[in-house]
Amino acid sequence: MSNRKKQLLILAAIAVIAGLLPELVTDVYLLNVVVLTLMFAALAQSWNILGGYCGQISLGHALYFGTGAYVTSIMFTTFGVSPWVGVFAGGIFSAALALALGYPCFRLKGHYFSIATIVIAEIGLLLVHNWDAVGGALGITWPIGQDSWWTLQFARDKAPYVYLALGLFIATWLSTYWIEDSRWGFWWRAIKDSPEAAESLGVEVFRSKMAAAALSAFFTAIGGGFYAAFVSYIDPESVMSFRFSLLFALPAVLGGIGTLWGPLVGALILIPFTEITRSYMGGFGNGLDLIIYGALIIVISLVKPEGILSLFRDRAKRGARS
Amino acid sequence: MTLPALLQVLASGLLMGLLYALIAVGLSLIFGLMDVVNFAHGEFLMTAMYVVFGLWLVTALDPVLLVPVTAAVLFAAGAFVYLAVIRFAMRAKANIGMVQIFATFGLAILIQGLAQFLFSPDYRSIPTSWLGNRTLAIGDVFLPLPQVFGGLISLLAFAGLYLLMNRTDLGKALEATREDQGAVALVGIDRNKVFALGWGLGSALVGLAGAVLAIFYYIHPQVGGPFALIAYVVVALGGFGSVFGALAAGLIVGLVEAFAATLLPPAMKSIAVYLLYLGVVFLRPRGLFGRL
Amino acid sequence: MTVNRRGILLGTVAAALFGRAAPALAAQEIVIGAVYPTSGPNAQIGVDARHALETAVDIVNAVHDIDLPTAKSEGIAGLGGARIRLVFADHQGDPQKGRAEAERLITQDKVVAVIGAFHSSVSSTVSVTCERYGVPYMCADSSSPSLHRRNLKFFFRPSAHDELFSLAMFDFLDAQRAAGMKVETVALFHEDTIFGTDSSNVQRKLAGDRGYDIAVDIKYRANSPSLTSEVQQLKSADADVLMPSSYTTDAILLVRTMGELGYKPKNILAQAAGFSEKAVFDAAGEKLDGLISRASFSLDLAAKRPSIAYVNERFKARAGRDLNDNTSRQFMALLILADALDRAKSVEGEKVRAALAGTNIPAERTIMPWSNCAFGPDGQNTGADPVLIQYLGGKWVTVFPEAVAVAGAKWPMAS
Repeated sequence: MSNRKKQLLILAAIAVIAGLLPELVTDVYLLNVVVLTLMFAALAQSWNILGGYCGQISLGHALYFGTGAYVTSIMFTTFGVSPWVGVFAGGIFSAALALALGYPCFRLKGHYFSIATIVIAEIGLLLVHNWDAVGGALGITWPIGQDSWWTLQFARDKAPYVYLALGLFIATWLSTYWIEDSRWGFWWRAIKDSPEAAESLGVEVFRSKMAAAALSAFFTAIGGGFYAAFVSYIDPESVMSFRFSLLFALPAVLGGIGTLWGPLVGALILIPFTEITRSYMGGFGNGLDLIIYGALIIVISLVKPEGILSLFRDRAKRGARS
Repeated sequence: MTLPALLQVLASGLLMGLLYALIAVGLSLIFGLMDVVNFAHGEFLMTAMYVVFGLWLVTALDPVLLVPVTAAVLFAAGAFVYLAVIRFAMRAKANIGMVQIFATFGLAILIQGLAQFLFSPDYRSIPTSWLGNRTLAIGDVFLPLPQVFGGLISLLAFAGLYLLMNRTDLGKALEATREDQGAVALVGIDRNKVFALGWGLGSALVGLAGAVLAIFYYIHPQVGGPFALIAYVVVALGGFGSVFGALAAGLIVGLVEAFAATLLPPAMKSIAVYLLYLGVVFLRPRGLFGRL
Repeated sequence: MTVNRRGILLGTVAAALFGRAAPALAAQEIVIGAVYPTSGPNAQIGVDARHALETAVDIVNAVHDIDLPTAKSEGIAGLGGARIRLVFADHQGDPQKGRAEAERLITQDKVVAVIGAFHSSVSSTVSVTCERYGVPYMCADSSSPSLHRRNLKFFFRPSAHDELFSLAMFDFLDAQRAAGMKVETVALFHEDTIFGTDSSNVQRKLAGDRGYDIAVDIKYRANSPSLTSEVQQLKSADADVLMPSSYTTDAILLVRTMGELGYKPKNILAQAAGFSEKAVFDAAGEKLDGLISRASFSLDLAAKRPSIAYVNERFKARAGRDLNDNTSRQFMALLILADALDRAKSVEGEKVRAALAGTNIPAERTIMPWSNCAFGPDGQNTGADPVLIQYLGGKWVTVFPEAVAVAGAKWPMAS
């Protein structure tokens, strides 16, 4: 079986296991962790499209997450539009925003680009924070209603959210899968190996970067809309802050940037660890949970700078040689 | 706005700008040397503030006297961080920049946790000192002495840095290592030693800033965050790797922030700074004076 | 720490008694959850909250000869002397994390009620979660006026909210004006999160309604490195009353910057928060003599009510500081909950809720300057009268309203 087909099979297996989790796990808190893990895996996967494959390190993706959350919330709370429609509206709006911003920003290189993404996201946060029509600092509260797939509100049942987050992850994974084998993927790998290639490919590369940015923003915004439905309350700090931007990139980097499975692996390690250190150690207020969390990130970064995934690749290579 | 008010805003903006420049230049130096953006820079600032506070508690010496000591402590801390952490992060063949960002991000969280663990999350301050709460009034313009002191330290530091980089062997070694890491090894310069010194120097500079800040600012584990963000913008605006750029950009940011707070709703004053950065960098993709 | 066997036993027995009008439960332990920020920029609030709640738990569990609910008996008499055990969780100021923690406390630790949360945004999501699980939520210290207006049956707020606080402030200004003082202009100075926004919205409206000129209305970014331009505007406006709504960090910077610019406000009338924290007065106390703040609590009422001094001593032994606006509310919230458990004689959600709804604790049996504690149908205590306290000579003195004032206000501040 070709390697490509094998990847799809692995995805199917993971989907089945994840889909069964709500039946096997009854603890609500653990299911909450599952939802968050899948969600961040999806968000890291969509960040990876732009950051890992295309090589443009955005540290301002919280902007798209936030616009997705806000568009979905406003459409639901003010106009009564179902979040199903809202998340796609948010996605399209964010994709358009990414294109508009990408045009000037892609001229910037390296750290100048990254810092531009940070300040643009901060501008977005400040604008929303001071814009009373969208709630400003008071945020937007989703009205409490009956459990419903139409409004994506479920009082205690986490299973629907698990499925939705899983669906989002599968969508982002498939996009990455498709890109890897496409023209764009080929160009981007060429550029990474030889910058001169970028010169000769010129305009097409620029267009492909724009498309990557739009796609990445699209999925990130859907994630934001999902999050808004999941928590039923959003405010600027909770969906547009810099720490979210880092949380979208971190799993991808830790797991293996620019790889198909890196974001999932990174999320599987990072998110449960974050939740558990906070929940079972944070209540004491002595900062111990932060010390351990920070130490873990450092250790992983140092021990395997190419990401956890390279652990498996090295082993596979060694296995093939022997 | 009346003329005295205008002059006040101008003066305050410049003084704050000098401090921003001092905080930023350490970051710029480290980047210029080894292409690493230190995401724990704000936490280094916070550490310096706690160091001064701790020394003040123990020795009861005025913070002004403790400034050089703090810089020395931070020098050692910076060198240590390089040798213990950053050196290993740089082994990665691929995506070096990302790895270091996240290693230093983890470091930032770790340092915050340590600060909370050692000092509790309570807000500290140094209530009385030689310069604290003292102001120099020139007409209707008030120049708080701690900030004036900070401004002087900043200018001295920049002058010193200029001399170091251009007139000393160490400075030349730093320059050379930045230009071509491979070649310097052939000439017998130990790359690790140079980098450690570079980290130490960059940290000492932010240590100076932290020591000055502690005289008039509050201290707690998360105090570094807003300053770090400003520092990144200042460095990028001035141009990575340019010491003079950090100074110029710091002053500009200080002024723009101060005036934006009077012309715009103050809650949005940072937007002016960010738009300035974007405006500059879209026209000059390497910042004002960047060479990298 | 994780799933508590006694808690499960308790839950099972309670479930077995469901529907029966069965009285006393000879159980060992009642678990109560507390959700507070214990890491991040407001961690000190969480640390202090822990001290306040532990002081309250001690009052309930041990025998104390003071007139506070459940103090005189060991544990909760109505539940066979059952003792309270607190479980603390960190929400880091994030509404999603707060919700996750509340859910964990309810489903894993089987808490009988949840207390929280300081941040109004977190109280918003936590209270909804508690509603969904049928567990009472004691909103000890979140003051956003919108919280009790969401038709939640399990939401209880013993203390006042921003509208009541600001009302007291303007009632005070009216009184000063009526007594012939010059009170024509006010300066609003507020940070930009929910707290500052809610507070200033009410103040703006009241100023308009009662004929005060707003000389300057400054919304500033919380945790700004510099407030010089902002304070320069305050100085230029030089209003009769400066009304800041600031947390600790900004309060320290505000006071220091005012000193640096040579601006001495004629009067300061603060919306507590930072101005009720020890750190601010440690940093700049000498500049704040005469500052008046709204308060849920005032220490000098101890002269009339010995339980206040008693509790404060015990709190101070743990926390190294006096009770303040926040910690007093947290302390009281737990006692009110204990009182309800005592009357409910059950740990079942609906029964505790009904008991809370029927709360009627007279003022003398609390440590607060309230008229009493009785919850309206929306869960808001209708007797939660705030007071105004003034910082004089290093101590807080109650100056308003007249009924509880220990002394008249020193007005203007600098006189």
